[in-house]
Amino acid sequence: MELVIALGMNGIVWGLIIALIALGLSIIFGLLDIINIAHGDFFMVGTVLAWAVFEGTGNYWLAFAIVPIIGFGLGALIEYAVIQPIKNAAALSIVATFGLSIILQESVRATYGAAPSRLTAPIETTIPLFGLEYEVYRLFAAFISVVAIIAFFIFLHRTKMGTWMRAVRYDPETATAMGIPARRVYQITFAIGFAMAALGGVVAGPITTVDFQAGVDVLPFCFMAVIIGGLGNLEGTVAAAVMLAFFEGVMASFADPTMARIGSLCLMSLVLLIRPHGIFSGATR
Amino acid sequence: MTAQQINKWGLVLFALFTLAAPLILPLFIDAFWVDIYSEMLIWSLLAASVNLLFGYVGLLSFGQALFFGMGMYGVAIGVAKLGLGFWPALGLGIVLSTAMSAFAGALAVRLTWHYFAIITVVFSLIFYFTALSWKPLTGGDDGLSFSMPPMLTWGEDGELSLTDPTVQYYFIITMVGLCYVLMGVILKSPLGWAFRTVRENAMRASLIGLNVYLIRLTAFIVAGFIAGMAGALFAFFGRYASASYMFYHVSGEAVVWAIIGGAGTLLGPVVGTSLLIMLREELSTLWEHYLLLVGVIVILVVVFAPKGIGGLWHGLVNKVAKPAPDAVDAKDGEDRS
Repeated sequence: MELVIALGMNGIVWGLIIALIALGLSIIFGLLDIINIAHGDFFMVGTVLAWAVFEGTGNYWLAFAIVPIIGFGLGALIEYAVIQPIKNAAALSIVATFGLSIILQESVRATYGAAPSRLTAPIETTIPLFGLEYEVYRLFAAFISVVAIIAFFIFLHRTKMGTWMRAVRYDPETATAMGIPARRVYQITFAIGFAMAALGGVVAGPITTVDFQAGVDVLPFCFMAVIIGGLGNLEGTVAAAVMLAFFEGVMASFADPTMARIGSLCLMSLVLLIRPHGIFSGATR
Repeated sequence: MTAQQINKWGLVLFALFTLAAPLILPLFIDAFWVDIYSEMLIWSLLAASVNLLFGYVGLLSFGQALFFGMGMYGVAIGVAKLGLGFWPALGLGIVLSTAMSAFAGALAVRLTWHYFAIITVVFSLIFYFTALSWKPLTGGDDGLSFSMPPMLTWGEDGELSLTDPTVQYYFIITMVGLCYVLMGVILKSPLGWAFRTVRENAMRASLIGLNVYLIRLTAFIVAGFIAGMAGALFAFFGRYASASYMFYHVSGEAVVWAIIGGAGTLLGPVVGTSLLIMLREELSTLWEHYLLLVGVIVILVVVFAPKGIGGLWHGLVNKVAKPAPDAVDAKDGEDRS
C-alpha cells in the first residue's frame, strides 16, 4: 500500500510538472497552429541550462530565475527565425520543428556531452507523509508548478497581453483590425511556451536525469495531455496531465513501467476515437 | 522538348543508372556505395508510403514506422523463430503489415488532420513499447538477428541466396521497382484521382458520391503495404530486426524525407531520402555533429522551397521546356513523374 501511495504521489508531482510543459505546447498550438515537435527539447534545454547555472554558480535557486528568462529569449529568437517564415502552413510546421529538434539535441550533445548526469536537489530533507518518508523537494516542485500555472492563468485573464492573446486566438483578423499587433502576440506566445517548458526543465532537473535525449520521452506525454484535455482547452490540458501521470504512477506500482505506458497510450487512443475533442469537450472553449 | 518528355528521359536515365549501379559505382567511388544505394532505395519506400498518404490523400501519418516494423519483424521472427524459408517469411512480413494497417486504418482514418497525425503516433508507440518489452519474441532493444535462408535451391548444392551481393542488389531493386510501379498505376487510375479529390476537398468528394472513408482506408492500407515491404527488405538487407526502428523518430524522418523530396510527386521521396542519407554518410565521417547541418538544411528547405526538391525540379523543367502541343495546362505536370 505504501508503494501505491508513493508512486501515486510521484505521479501527481510529475503530472503537475508535465502540465506546466504541456500548457506551453497547448498555447503554441492553440494560437499559432504549430504542432511543435521540438517542445520536448525545450524542456531538455531547460534541464541542461539549470545544470549549467548550478555548475557555474553553485546555486540551484538561481536557475529558477535565470533559465525561464533565457528560454523566453530563445523562444522569441526561434519564432522570428523559423516559425514566422512558415506561418499558414501547419504541415510544414511539423517538419520545421523536427529540424529544430535535431538542432537543439545536437547542439546540447556538442556542448554538454552525450553522457547523462544527475543533479542533486537543493532540498535534501524528507518528511513523514502518509506513513512514508517523502522527499521535500518533490513537494516543492509540485508547489512551484502550481504557482507557475496559476500565474499563467492570471496573466492570460488579467493583463493586456493576455487579453490580446485570447483575442488573436479567437479571431486573428478582427484582432488585427482592432489594432492588436498580432505578429508580436505570436512571438510572445511562442516565447512564453518555451519559457514554461524551460521552467519545467528546471523544476524536473533534480527528479530526472539531465540528458540530451530527455525530451524524446516527455514529448508524447505532453501531446497526450493536450489531446485528452482537448486541443486548445488549457484547463483541460492541466487536468489531463495530472490524471494521466497519476494513472501511470498507480499502474506502475503493480505492473512494469513499460506496461503502464502502454496502458496510458491505449487509454489515449480510446479517448481520441470516442471523444476526439477531449474528455472535457462542451465544458469551455 | 516538352516538360513531359524531359521528365520521361529523366526517369529513363534514373532507371538505367539504378540497373547499372553495381557496375558503375565501384569504378568511381568505393564499392560500399552500392550497399548504401540499395539502403536508400529501401528507405525511400518508407518515405513513399508517407507521401502516398500526405501528398495524395492529405493525411499526415506520423506512424508509418509501425508498418515498417511489422514487415521487419515478420521476416525476422519468421526466419529466426518459426524456421520459415525465404518467401514464406517475406509473405509473413507483408501480411502482418497489411493486416496491421487495415486494423489501425479502420480506426484512424475516421479522424483527420491533427487528430490523425497524433493517433498514428500513438498506435506506433503502443507497438513500439510492446516490441520493446516482449523480449523472448522480439529481442527488445538488442534486436533479433538471423542467418539468411536461400531464395531458391536446386540439385545437390545449387542455390540462389541474398548472401551474394549481386543477387541481393537486384532482388532489392526489383521489389522496390515493383512497389513504385504499383503506386504509379494506382495514382493514374480512377482510384488515384479519387485520392486527389479527397485531398483537395473531402466534403465535395463525398457530395459527388465518393465514399471518403473507404478511399482513405484504401490509401492507408496501400501505404501500410509499401511501408511493410520496406521493413521486410530492410530486415533481409541487415539480417536483423530491432524495436528501435519502430520508434516515432523513424516515422518522423520518413515525413521529413517525403516533404524535402516534394510531397505529391511520385519520385520526390527517392530524391529526399537519397539526399539526406548521402549527407549522413558523407558528413558523419567528417564532422561528429553533422546533424546540426541536417537540421539547418531541413529548416531552409521548408522555408525557401516548401514544395520540396520535386517542386523546384518541376519549376525548373517548366521554365526550360517548350509548352506541350496540346497545352492542357502547366499544372497537369505537377502530379506526374
